[in-house]
Amino acid sequence: MAVQDAIPAPQAVEDTAGTVRRKRILRHAGIFLTLILMWEFGSRIGWLDPLFYPRPSNIMRSFWLIYFQNGNVWYHLYATMSLVFLGWIGGSILGIGLGSLVGFNSVLRRFLKPYVIVLEATPRIAVAPLLIAALGFGASSKIAIIVLVCFFAPFINTLSGVMNVDEDRLELFRSMRASKMQVLRKLVLPDAVPIIMAGERLALTAALSGALVAEFIQRDEGIGSLILVYTRNLNMASAFACIFTLTILGFLIFKGMEKIDFYVAFWKYEGGRERVSAKRRAAMEGPDHA
Amino acid sequence: MPDPTIAQSSTHDIVVSGQGVGKTFADGSVIALQDAHFNIKRGSFVSLVGPSGCGKSTLLRLISGLIPPTSGEIAVHGTPVTGPRADISMMFQKATLLDWRTAIENVLLPTEINGTPTKADKNRAFDLLKLVGLEDFAFSFPAQLSGGMQQRVALARLLQTGADILLLDEPFGALDEFTREHLNLELMRIVQEVGATAFFVTHNIAEAIFLADQVVVMTSRPGRMAKIVDVDLERPRPLSIQTSVEFNKLVEDVRETLGEM
Repeated sequence: MAVQDAIPAPQAVEDTAGTVRRKRILRHAGIFLTLILMWEFGSRIGWLDPLFYPRPSNIMRSFWLIYFQNGNVWYHLYATMSLVFLGWIGGSILGIGLGSLVGFNSVLRRFLKPYVIVLEATPRIAVAPLLIAALGFGASSKIAIIVLVCFFAPFINTLSGVMNVDEDRLELFRSMRASKMQVLRKLVLPDAVPIIMAGERLALTAALSGALVAEFIQRDEGIGSLILVYTRNLNMASAFACIFTLTILGFLIFKGMEKIDFYVAFWKYEGGRERVSAKRRAAMEGPDHA
Repeated sequence: MPDPTIAQSSTHDIVVSGQGVGKTFADGSVIALQDAHFNIKRGSFVSLVGPSGCGKSTLLRLISGLIPPTSGEIAVHGTPVTGPRADISMMFQKATLLDWRTAIENVLLPTEINGTPTKADKNRAFDLLKLVGLEDFAFSFPAQLSGGMQQRVALARLLQTGADILLLDEPFGALDEFTREHLNLELMRIVQEVGATAFFVTHNIAEAIFLADQVVVMTSRPGRMAKIVDVDLERPRPLSIQTSVEFNKLVEDVRETLGEM
Protein backbone atom coordinates (compact mmCIF):
# COMPACT_ATOMS: atom_id res chain seq x y z
CA MET A 1 0.00 0.00 0.00
CA ALA A 2 2.66 2.45 1.11
CA VAL A 3 4.90 1.40 -1.76
CA GLN A 4 2.07 1.92 -4.22
CA ASP A 5 1.46 5.36 -2.81
CA ALA A 6 5.10 6.30 -3.03
CA ILE A 7 5.77 5.09 -6.58
CA PRO A 8 2.62 5.61 -8.63
CA ALA A 9 2.39 3.85 -11.96
CA PRO A 10 2.97 6.31 -14.84
CA GLN A 11 -0.58 5.64 -16.08
CA ALA A 12 -2.09 6.63 -12.74
CA VAL A 13 -0.37 10.02 -12.86
CA GLU A 14 -2.16 10.95 -16.06
CA ASP A 15 -5.49 9.29 -15.31
CA THR A 16 -7.49 10.49 -12.39
CA ALA A 17 -9.56 7.95 -10.47
CA GLY A 18 -12.66 9.25 -12.27
CA THR A 19 -11.44 8.55 -15.78
CA VAL A 20 -10.16 5.10 -14.80
CA ARG A 21 -13.60 4.34 -13.46
CA ARG A 22 -15.31 5.72 -16.56
CA LYS A 23 -13.10 3.60 -18.79
CA ARG A 24 -13.92 0.50 -16.81
CA ILE A 25 -17.66 1.16 -17.01
CA LEU A 26 -17.39 1.74 -20.78
CA ARG A 27 -15.53 -1.54 -21.23
CA HIS A 28 -18.17 -3.46 -19.30
CA ALA A 29 -20.98 -1.78 -21.19
CA GLY A 30 -19.24 -2.65 -24.45
CA ILE A 31 -18.97 -6.33 -23.58
CA PHE A 32 -22.58 -6.43 -22.43
CA LEU A 33 -23.86 -4.76 -25.60
CA THR A 34 -21.83 -7.12 -27.79
CA LEU A 35 -23.33 -10.15 -26.04
CA ILE A 36 -26.87 -8.80 -26.40
CA LEU A 37 -26.30 -8.02 -30.08
CA MET A 38 -24.85 -11.50 -30.67
CA TRP A 39 -27.94 -12.96 -29.05
CA GLU A 40 -30.25 -10.73 -31.11
CA PHE A 41 -28.63 -11.59 -34.43
CA GLY A 42 -28.03 -15.21 -33.50
CA SER A 43 -31.75 -15.46 -32.98
CA ARG A 44 -32.58 -13.53 -36.19
CA ILE A 45 -30.38 -15.62 -38.50
CA GLY A 46 -31.45 -18.87 -36.91
CA TRP A 47 -28.41 -19.92 -34.84
CA LEU A 48 -30.60 -19.81 -31.77
CA ASP A 49 -34.10 -21.27 -31.71
CA PRO A 50 -36.26 -18.15 -31.18
CA LEU A 51 -38.85 -20.31 -29.45
CA PHE A 52 -36.57 -21.05 -26.49
CA TYR A 53 -34.17 -18.14 -26.81
CA PRO A 54 -36.37 -15.16 -27.70
CA ARG A 55 -34.66 -12.11 -29.09
CA PRO A 56 -33.64 -9.41 -26.61
CA SER A 57 -35.82 -6.97 -28.56
CA ASN A 58 -38.82 -9.25 -28.00
CA ILE A 59 -38.00 -9.55 -24.31
CA MET A 60 -37.90 -5.76 -24.10
CA ARG A 61 -41.29 -5.62 -25.76
CA SER A 62 -42.61 -8.14 -23.25
CA PHE A 63 -41.29 -5.98 -20.43
CA TRP A 64 -43.32 -3.12 -21.85
CA LEU A 65 -46.35 -5.36 -22.17
CA ILE A 66 -46.41 -6.93 -18.72
CA TYR A 67 -45.40 -3.76 -16.88
CA PHE A 68 -47.27 -1.03 -18.71
CA GLN A 69 -49.56 -2.09 -21.54
CA ASN A 70 -51.24 -4.95 -19.71
CA GLY A 71 -49.75 -4.13 -16.32
CA ASN A 72 -50.56 -7.66 -15.14
CA VAL A 73 -47.17 -8.25 -13.52
CA TRP A 74 -47.75 -5.80 -10.68
CA TYR A 75 -50.32 -7.96 -8.97
CA HIS A 76 -48.03 -11.00 -9.07
CA LEU A 77 -45.00 -9.00 -8.05
CA TYR A 78 -46.89 -7.74 -5.04
CA ALA A 79 -48.06 -11.27 -4.20
CA THR A 80 -44.52 -12.66 -4.35
CA MET A 81 -42.94 -9.78 -2.48
CA SER A 82 -45.42 -9.86 0.38
CA LEU A 83 -44.83 -13.61 0.72
CA VAL A 84 -41.06 -13.12 0.70
CA PHE A 85 -41.29 -10.36 3.27
CA LEU A 86 -43.63 -12.19 5.65
CA GLY A 87 -41.72 -15.45 5.37
CA TRP A 88 -38.41 -13.70 5.88
CA ILE A 89 -39.64 -11.87 8.96
CA GLY A 90 -41.06 -15.12 10.35
CA GLY A 91 -37.91 -17.07 9.57
CA SER A 92 -35.73 -14.35 11.08
CA ILE A 93 -37.69 -14.20 14.31
CA LEU A 94 -37.59 -17.97 14.55
CA GLY A 95 -33.91 -18.20 13.59
CA ILE A 96 -32.60 -15.39 15.79
CA GLY A 97 -34.82 -16.42 18.70
CA LEU A 98 -33.91 -20.08 18.54
CA GLY A 99 -30.26 -19.24 17.84
CA SER A 100 -29.90 -17.09 20.94
CA LEU A 101 -31.84 -19.57 23.05
CA VAL A 102 -29.64 -22.48 22.00
CA GLY A 103 -26.52 -20.29 22.16
CA PHE A 104 -27.09 -19.34 25.78
CA ASN A 105 -28.29 -22.69 27.03
CA SER A 106 -25.59 -25.35 26.86
CA VAL A 107 -27.97 -28.13 27.92
CA LEU A 108 -30.40 -27.25 25.15
CA ARG A 109 -27.47 -27.05 22.76
CA ARG A 110 -26.31 -30.55 23.59
CA PHE A 111 -29.75 -32.04 23.05
CA LEU A 112 -30.59 -30.09 19.92
CA LYS A 113 -27.26 -30.53 18.15
CA PRO A 114 -28.08 -33.83 16.38
CA TYR A 115 -31.35 -32.40 15.08
CA VAL A 116 -29.61 -29.31 13.81
CA ILE A 117 -27.13 -31.49 11.92
CA VAL A 118 -29.95 -33.58 10.43
CA LEU A 119 -31.83 -30.43 9.47
CA GLU A 120 -28.71 -28.96 7.92
CA ALA A 121 -28.11 -32.08 5.83
CA THR A 122 -31.69 -32.26 4.56
CA PRO A 123 -32.59 -30.04 1.60
CA ARG A 124 -35.37 -28.16 3.34
CA ILE A 125 -37.18 -27.39 0.10
CA ALA A 126 -37.97 -31.12 -0.15
CA VAL A 127 -40.40 -30.72 2.71
CA ALA A 128 -42.45 -28.19 0.73
CA PRO A 129 -45.05 -30.68 -0.66
CA LEU A 130 -45.59 -32.07 2.82
CA LEU A 131 -46.19 -28.61 4.19
CA ILE A 132 -48.81 -28.00 1.51
CA ALA A 133 -50.43 -31.33 2.33
CA ALA A 134 -50.52 -30.38 5.99
CA LEU A 135 -51.58 -26.75 5.67
CA GLY A 136 -53.50 -26.85 2.40
CA PHE A 137 -53.17 -24.58 -0.61
CA GLY A 138 -52.95 -20.86 0.06
CA ALA A 139 -50.77 -18.24 1.66
CA SER A 140 -50.19 -20.06 4.95
CA SER A 141 -48.41 -23.05 3.41
CA LYS A 142 -46.41 -20.78 1.12
CA ILE A 143 -45.23 -18.69 4.04
CA ALA A 144 -44.45 -21.86 5.98
CA ILE A 145 -42.21 -23.03 3.12
CA ILE A 146 -40.38 -19.69 3.05
CA VAL A 147 -39.95 -19.68 6.82
CA LEU A 148 -38.50 -23.17 6.59
CA VAL A 149 -35.98 -22.37 3.87
CA CYS A 150 -34.83 -19.06 5.29
CA PHE A 151 -34.70 -19.59 9.04
CA PHE A 152 -31.51 -21.61 8.97
CA ALA A 153 -28.95 -18.93 8.10
CA PRO A 154 -30.05 -16.52 10.86
CA PHE A 155 -30.25 -19.46 13.25
CA ILE A 156 -26.72 -20.71 12.63
CA ASN A 157 -25.23 -17.22 12.47
CA THR A 158 -26.93 -16.06 15.65
CA LEU A 159 -25.79 -19.23 17.36
CA SER A 160 -22.16 -18.76 16.39
CA GLY A 161 -22.29 -15.02 17.05
CA VAL A 162 -23.63 -15.56 20.55
CA MET A 163 -21.20 -18.37 21.30
CA ASN A 164 -18.05 -16.71 19.97
CA VAL A 165 -17.94 -13.86 22.44
CA ASP A 166 -14.41 -12.70 23.14
CA GLU A 167 -13.22 -14.21 26.44
CA ASP A 168 -11.30 -11.09 27.46
CA ARG A 169 -14.32 -8.87 27.02
CA LEU A 170 -16.41 -11.33 28.99
CA GLU A 171 -13.83 -11.17 31.77
CA LEU A 172 -13.92 -7.38 31.64
CA PHE A 173 -17.68 -7.45 32.15
CA ARG A 174 -17.32 -9.91 35.01
CA SER A 175 -14.67 -7.73 36.67
CA MET A 176 -17.13 -4.83 36.45
CA ARG A 177 -19.73 -7.02 38.15
CA ALA A 178 -22.16 -6.85 35.24
CA SER A 179 -25.38 -8.85 35.50
CA LYS A 180 -26.19 -11.61 33.01
CA MET A 181 -28.73 -9.31 31.39
CA GLN A 182 -26.15 -6.54 31.05
CA VAL A 183 -23.64 -8.93 29.49
CA LEU A 184 -26.32 -9.94 27.02
CA ARG A 185 -27.54 -6.46 26.17
CA LYS A 186 -24.29 -4.55 26.23
CA LEU A 187 -21.85 -7.16 24.96
CA VAL A 188 -23.17 -10.37 23.41
CA LEU A 189 -26.00 -9.05 21.24
CA PRO A 190 -24.28 -5.96 19.80
CA ASP A 191 -21.20 -8.08 19.19
CA ALA A 192 -23.30 -10.57 17.21
CA VAL A 193 -25.06 -7.96 15.07
CA PRO A 194 -22.70 -8.09 12.05
CA ILE A 195 -22.81 -11.89 11.77
CA ILE A 196 -26.58 -11.96 12.32
CA MET A 197 -26.91 -9.39 9.53
CA ALA A 198 -24.86 -11.63 7.23
CA GLY A 199 -27.31 -14.44 8.02
CA GLU A 200 -30.24 -12.16 7.27
CA ARG A 201 -28.82 -11.37 3.87
CA LEU A 202 -28.60 -15.07 3.01
CA ALA A 203 -32.08 -15.59 4.44
CA LEU A 204 -33.68 -12.97 2.23
CA THR A 205 -32.16 -14.49 -0.91
CA ALA A 206 -33.32 -17.93 0.24
CA ALA A 207 -36.78 -16.50 0.89
CA LEU A 208 -37.08 -15.39 -2.73
CA SER A 209 -36.16 -18.89 -3.96
CA GLY A 210 -38.55 -20.43 -1.45
CA ALA A 211 -41.38 -18.21 -2.65
CA LEU A 212 -40.78 -19.24 -6.26
CA VAL A 213 -40.81 -22.94 -5.42
CA ALA A 214 -44.00 -22.48 -3.40
CA GLU A 215 -45.58 -20.70 -6.37
CA PHE A 216 -44.36 -23.34 -8.83
CA ILE A 217 -46.18 -25.93 -6.76
CA GLN A 218 -49.34 -23.98 -6.12
CA ARG A 219 -49.60 -22.12 -9.46
CA ASP A 220 -52.16 -19.61 -8.31
CA GLU A 221 -50.41 -16.24 -8.17
CA GLY A 222 -47.01 -14.65 -7.96
CA ILE A 223 -44.05 -14.32 -10.31
CA GLY A 224 -43.34 -18.07 -10.04
CA SER A 225 -46.82 -18.95 -11.25
CA LEU A 226 -46.55 -16.32 -13.98
CA ILE A 227 -43.35 -17.89 -15.29
CA LEU A 228 -45.09 -21.27 -15.37
CA VAL A 229 -48.07 -19.87 -17.30
CA TYR A 230 -45.91 -18.05 -19.86
CA THR A 231 -43.69 -21.07 -20.41
CA ARG A 232 -46.68 -23.35 -20.86
CA ASN A 233 -48.05 -20.94 -23.46
CA LEU A 234 -44.62 -20.84 -25.12
CA ASN A 235 -44.51 -17.11 -24.45
CA MET A 236 -40.81 -17.28 -23.72
CA ALA A 237 -40.15 -13.58 -24.12
CA SER A 238 -42.53 -12.80 -21.27
CA ALA A 239 -41.09 -15.65 -19.20
CA PHE A 240 -37.65 -14.12 -19.68
CA ALA A 241 -39.01 -10.71 -18.73
CA CYS A 242 -40.23 -12.30 -15.48
CA ILE A 243 -36.86 -13.94 -14.88
CA PHE A 244 -35.03 -10.66 -15.42
CA THR A 245 -37.51 -9.06 -13.07
CA LEU A 246 -36.33 -11.53 -10.46
CA THR A 247 -32.71 -10.67 -11.29
CA ILE A 248 -33.43 -7.02 -10.63
CA LEU A 249 -35.33 -7.97 -7.49
CA GLY A 250 -32.41 -10.07 -6.23
CA PHE A 251 -30.05 -7.19 -6.90
CA LEU A 252 -32.30 -4.74 -5.07
CA ILE A 253 -32.53 -7.13 -2.13
CA PHE A 254 -28.74 -7.35 -2.03
CA LYS A 255 -28.36 -3.58 -2.17
CA GLY A 256 -31.12 -3.04 0.36
CA MET A 257 -29.50 -5.41 2.83
CA GLU A 258 -26.18 -3.66 2.30
CA LYS A 259 -27.88 -0.39 3.15
CA ILE A 260 -29.49 -1.86 6.28
CA ASP A 261 -26.15 -3.34 7.33
CA PHE A 262 -24.56 0.08 6.93
CA TYR A 263 -26.99 1.47 9.48
CA VAL A 264 -27.34 -1.47 11.86
CA ALA A 265 -23.67 -2.54 11.95
CA PHE A 266 -22.35 0.97 11.33
CA TRP A 267 -19.05 0.48 13.17
CA LYS A 268 -17.83 -1.84 10.43
CA TYR A 269 -17.91 0.96 7.86
CA GLU A 270 -15.74 4.05 7.65
CA GLY A 271 -18.71 6.14 6.57
CA GLY A 272 -20.96 4.61 9.21
CA ARG A 273 -18.49 5.39 11.97
CA GLU A 274 -18.13 8.98 10.81
CA ARG A 275 -21.88 9.46 10.64
CA VAL A 276 -22.61 8.03 14.09
CA SER A 277 -19.57 9.73 15.59
CA ALA A 278 -20.86 13.13 14.51
CA LYS A 279 -24.33 12.30 15.78
CA ARG A 280 -23.12 11.12 19.18
CA ARG A 281 -20.96 14.21 19.53
CA ALA A 282 -23.95 16.44 18.83
CA ALA A 283 -26.09 14.49 21.29
CA MET A 284 -23.64 14.52 24.16
CA GLU A 285 -21.74 17.72 23.69
CA GLY A 286 -24.00 20.21 25.46
CA PRO A 287 -23.27 23.93 25.71
CA ASP A 288 -21.09 23.25 28.77
CA HIS A 289 -18.68 21.23 26.63
CA ALA A 290 -18.53 23.62 23.71
CA MET B 1 1.40 8.58 73.01
CA PRO B 2 2.61 8.45 69.41
CA ASP B 3 2.97 4.65 69.49
CA PRO B 4 -0.71 3.64 69.06
CA THR B 5 -1.09 6.17 66.27
CA ILE B 6 1.78 4.63 64.37
CA ALA B 7 0.51 1.12 64.97
CA GLN B 8 -2.96 2.06 63.75
CA SER B 9 -1.79 3.84 60.65
CA SER B 10 0.47 0.98 59.66
CA THR B 11 -2.36 -1.57 59.68
CA HIS B 12 -4.56 0.86 57.77
CA ASP B 13 -1.82 1.38 55.25
CA ILE B 14 -1.99 -2.22 54.09
CA VAL B 15 -4.60 -2.30 51.31
CA VAL B 16 -3.95 -5.69 49.80
CA SER B 17 -2.67 -8.70 51.69
CA GLY B 18 -2.33 -12.37 50.94
CA GLN B 19 -1.74 -15.23 53.36
CA GLY B 20 -0.55 -18.53 51.92
CA VAL B 21 -2.34 -17.94 48.65
CA GLY B 22 -2.28 -20.89 46.25
CA LYS B 23 -4.06 -21.80 43.07
CA THR B 24 -4.22 -25.26 41.52
CA PHE B 25 -6.18 -25.64 38.32
CA ALA B 26 -8.66 -28.48 38.36
CA ASP B 27 -7.69 -29.94 35.00
CA GLY B 28 -4.57 -31.90 35.90
CA SER B 29 -2.39 -30.99 38.83
CA VAL B 30 -1.02 -27.72 37.48
CA ILE B 31 0.09 -25.62 40.42
CA ALA B 32 -0.24 -22.10 39.07
CA LEU B 33 0.67 -20.41 42.31
CA GLN B 34 2.03 -21.71 45.58
CA ASP B 35 2.04 -20.25 49.07
CA ALA B 36 2.18 -16.53 48.31
CA HIS B 37 2.45 -14.04 51.18
CA PHE B 38 2.30 -10.32 50.67
CA ASN B 39 1.31 -7.04 52.27
CA ILE B 40 0.96 -4.13 49.91
CA LYS B 41 0.84 -0.57 51.22
CA ARG B 42 -1.56 2.08 50.00
CA GLY B 43 -0.36 3.96 46.97
CA SER B 44 2.43 1.55 46.05
CA PHE B 45 3.19 0.59 42.53
CA VAL B 46 3.90 -3.15 42.49
CA SER B 47 5.38 -4.87 39.46
CA LEU B 48 5.02 -8.61 39.04
CA VAL B 49 7.78 -9.94 36.87
CA GLY B 50 8.73 -13.43 35.81
CA PRO B 51 8.74 -15.92 32.94
CA SER B 52 5.48 -17.16 31.46
CA GLY B 53 3.83 -19.78 33.65
CA CYS B 54 5.10 -18.20 36.86
CA GLY B 55 1.57 -17.38 37.99
CA LYS B 56 1.77 -13.61 37.75
CA SER B 57 -1.45 -13.33 35.76
CA THR B 58 -3.04 -15.91 38.06
CA LEU B 59 -2.10 -13.81 41.08
CA LEU B 60 -3.66 -10.76 39.46
CA ARG B 61 -6.87 -12.62 38.71
CA LEU B 62 -6.94 -13.94 42.27
CA ILE B 63 -6.67 -10.42 43.65
CA SER B 64 -9.41 -9.22 41.27
CA GLY B 65 -11.73 -11.94 42.52
CA LEU B 66 -12.28 -13.31 39.01
CA ILE B 67 -11.04 -16.71 40.22
CA PRO B 68 -11.06 -18.05 43.78
CA PRO B 69 -7.84 -19.27 45.46
CA THR B 70 -7.46 -22.99 46.16
CA SER B 71 -5.76 -22.24 49.44
CA GLY B 72 -5.07 -19.21 51.61
CA GLU B 73 -6.84 -15.88 51.60
CA ILE B 74 -6.56 -12.51 49.95
CA ALA B 75 -7.90 -9.45 51.73
CA VAL B 76 -8.50 -6.02 50.25
CA HIS B 77 -9.16 -3.09 52.56
CA GLY B 78 -9.39 -5.63 55.36
CA THR B 79 -12.19 -7.72 53.86
CA PRO B 80 -11.59 -11.06 52.14
CA VAL B 81 -11.95 -11.13 48.36
CA THR B 82 -14.82 -13.41 47.36
CA GLY B 83 -15.55 -12.06 43.88
CA PRO B 84 -15.13 -9.00 41.67
CA ARG B 85 -15.56 -5.83 43.70
CA ALA B 86 -16.00 -2.12 43.20
CA ASP B 87 -12.69 -1.03 44.75
CA ILE B 88 -10.70 -3.09 42.24
CA SER B 89 -10.44 -2.40 38.53
CA MET B 90 -8.65 -4.40 35.89
CA MET B 91 -7.00 -3.75 32.54
CA PHE B 92 -5.90 -6.36 30.02
CA GLN B 93 -3.27 -6.80 27.35
CA LYS B 94 -5.96 -6.34 24.74
CA ALA B 95 -7.81 -3.03 24.97
CA THR B 96 -11.13 -4.96 25.08
CA LEU B 97 -13.01 -1.88 23.91
CA LEU B 98 -16.49 -2.30 22.50
CA ASP B 99 -16.30 -1.54 18.77
CA TRP B 100 -19.78 -0.08 18.58
CA ARG B 101 -19.12 2.52 21.26
CA THR B 102 -17.21 5.78 20.94
CA ALA B 103 -14.19 6.35 23.20
CA ILE B 104 -16.24 8.34 25.69
CA GLU B 105 -18.99 5.69 25.72
CA ASN B 106 -16.37 3.03 26.36
CA VAL B 107 -15.01 5.02 29.27
CA LEU B 108 -18.55 5.36 30.62
CA LEU B 109 -19.21 1.61 30.45
CA PRO B 110 -18.33 0.82 34.11
CA THR B 111 -20.58 3.66 35.25
CA GLU B 112 -23.39 2.37 33.05
CA ILE B 113 -23.04 -1.10 34.53
CA ASN B 114 -23.64 0.40 37.96
CA GLY B 115 -26.55 2.61 36.94
CA THR B 116 -27.41 5.54 34.72
CA PRO B 117 -24.46 7.90 34.16
CA THR B 118 -25.06 11.40 35.48
CA LYS B 119 -23.78 14.67 34.08
CA ALA B 120 -20.97 14.48 36.64
CA ASP B 121 -20.01 10.99 35.44
CA LYS B 122 -19.83 12.25 31.87
CA ASN B 123 -17.69 15.20 32.90
CA ARG B 124 -15.42 12.83 34.75
CA ALA B 125 -15.10 10.62 31.68
CA PHE B 126 -14.14 13.67 29.60
CA ASP B 127 -11.58 14.67 32.21
CA LEU B 128 -10.10 11.18 32.19
CA LEU B 129 -9.83 11.21 28.40
CA LYS B 130 -8.02 14.52 28.78
CA LEU B 131 -5.76 12.94 31.38
CA VAL B 132 -4.73 10.23 28.91
CA GLY B 133 -4.38 12.82 26.14
CA LEU B 134 -7.38 11.84 24.06
CA GLU B 135 -9.74 14.78 24.55
CA ASP B 136 -9.91 15.27 20.78
CA PHE B 137 -10.90 11.65 20.20
CA ALA B 138 -13.82 11.35 22.63
CA PHE B 139 -16.25 10.59 19.82
CA SER B 140 -14.00 8.34 17.77
CA PHE B 141 -14.73 4.65 17.49
CA PRO B 142 -12.03 2.11 18.43
CA ALA B 143 -11.46 1.27 14.75
CA GLN B 144 -10.48 4.90 14.20
CA LEU B 145 -7.81 4.77 16.93
CA SER B 146 -4.30 3.32 16.93
CA GLY B 147 -3.39 0.44 19.25
CA GLY B 148 -1.73 2.82 21.69
CA MET B 149 -4.73 5.14 21.70
CA GLN B 150 -7.06 2.21 22.30
CA GLN B 151 -5.05 1.27 25.38
CA ARG B 152 -5.28 4.87 26.58
CA VAL B 153 -9.06 4.64 26.33
CA ALA B 154 -8.88 1.37 28.29
CA LEU B 155 -6.78 3.20 30.88
CA ALA B 156 -9.36 5.98 31.16
CA ARG B 157 -12.08 3.34 31.55
CA LEU B 158 -10.01 1.70 34.28
CA LEU B 159 -9.89 4.99 36.17
CA GLN B 160 -13.56 5.80 35.54
CA THR B 161 -14.54 3.02 37.95
CA GLY B 162 -13.11 5.08 40.80
CA ALA B 163 -11.42 1.98 42.15
CA ASP B 164 -8.28 2.67 44.14
CA ILE B 165 -6.67 -0.67 43.32
CA LEU B 166 -5.65 -1.04 39.70
CA LEU B 167 -4.68 -4.40 38.23
CA LEU B 168 -2.78 -4.14 34.96
CA ASP B 169 -2.12 -7.36 33.10
CA GLU B 170 0.63 -6.51 30.59
CA PRO B 171 -1.44 -3.54 29.47
CA PHE B 172 1.00 -2.31 26.84
CA GLY B 173 2.53 -5.69 26.00
CA ALA B 174 1.10 -5.77 22.49
CA LEU B 175 2.40 -2.32 21.55
CA ASP B 176 5.68 -1.33 19.96
CA GLU B 177 8.65 -0.37 22.13
CA PHE B 178 8.35 3.40 21.70
CA THR B 179 4.64 3.58 22.33
CA ARG B 180 5.05 1.32 25.34
CA GLU B 181 7.79 3.42 26.88
CA HIS B 182 5.74 6.54 26.36
CA LEU B 183 2.61 4.99 27.85
CA ASN B 184 4.59 3.67 30.82
CA LEU B 185 5.67 7.21 31.64
CA GLU B 186 2.09 8.40 31.44
CA LEU B 187 0.85 5.49 33.50
CA MET B 188 3.35 6.33 36.21
CA ARG B 189 2.24 9.98 36.23
CA ILE B 190 -1.46 9.12 36.22
CA VAL B 191 -1.31 6.47 38.93
CA GLN B 192 0.58 8.92 41.15
CA GLU B 193 -1.90 11.66 40.34
CA VAL B 194 -4.94 9.61 41.37
CA GLY B 195 -3.12 8.05 44.33
CA ALA B 196 -4.06 4.49 43.44
CA THR B 197 -2.36 1.24 44.37
CA ALA B 198 -1.25 -0.53 41.21
CA PHE B 199 -0.26 -4.09 40.31
CA PHE B 200 1.53 -4.28 37.01
CA VAL B 201 2.27 -7.60 35.32
CA THR B 202 5.15 -7.69 32.84
CA HIS B 203 7.97 -9.92 31.70
CA ASN B 204 10.25 -7.00 31.02
CA ILE B 205 12.60 -6.58 33.96
CA ALA B 206 13.67 -3.00 33.21
CA GLU B 207 10.07 -1.93 32.77
CA ALA B 208 9.10 -3.63 36.03
CA ILE B 209 11.79 -1.81 38.01
CA PHE B 210 11.35 1.53 36.27
CA LEU B 211 7.68 1.75 37.22
CA ALA B 212 7.61 0.14 40.63
CA ASP B 213 8.07 0.80 44.31
CA GLN B 214 8.27 -2.94 44.77
CA VAL B 215 9.09 -5.65 42.28
CA VAL B 216 7.66 -9.08 43.01
CA VAL B 217 9.95 -11.56 41.31
CA MET B 218 8.20 -14.79 40.42
CA THR B 219 9.53 -18.12 39.26
CA SER B 220 7.73 -20.92 37.49
CA ARG B 221 6.92 -24.60 38.00
CA PRO B 222 5.38 -24.24 40.43
CA GLY B 223 4.57 -20.52 40.33
CA ARG B 224 6.09 -18.89 43.40
CA MET B 225 6.90 -15.46 44.73
CA ALA B 226 10.66 -15.79 44.91
CA LYS B 227 11.53 -12.34 46.21
CA ILE B 228 10.20 -8.87 46.74
CA VAL B 229 12.71 -6.21 45.68
CA ASP B 230 12.21 -2.69 47.03
CA VAL B 231 12.92 0.02 44.50
CA ASP B 232 14.11 3.14 46.30
CA LEU B 233 14.65 5.29 43.25
CA GLU B 234 13.47 8.86 43.49
CA ARG B 235 10.30 10.02 41.77
CA PRO B 236 9.59 11.45 39.29
CA ARG B 237 11.86 9.16 37.31
CA PRO B 238 13.20 10.20 33.94
CA LEU B 239 13.77 7.50 31.30
CA SER B 240 17.51 8.13 31.67
CA ILE B 241 17.41 6.63 35.16
CA GLN B 242 17.62 3.25 33.45
CA THR B 243 21.29 3.83 32.74
CA SER B 244 22.16 4.65 36.36
CA VAL B 245 24.25 2.37 38.55
CA GLU B 246 21.50 1.91 41.16
CA PHE B 247 19.02 0.93 38.51
CA ASN B 248 21.31 -1.68 37.02
CA LYS B 249 22.08 -3.10 40.43
CA LEU B 250 18.37 -3.71 40.83
CA VAL B 251 18.21 -5.32 37.39
CA GLU B 252 21.05 -7.64 38.39
CA ASP B 253 19.30 -8.46 41.63
CA VAL B 254 16.11 -9.43 39.81
CA ARG B 255 17.99 -11.38 37.16
CA GLU B 256 19.89 -13.36 39.77
CA THR B 257 16.62 -14.28 41.46
CA LEU B 258 15.22 -15.42 38.15
CA GLY B 259 18.37 -17.46 37.59
CA GLU B 260 19.08 -15.93 34.24
CA MET B 261 22.57 -14.66 35.00
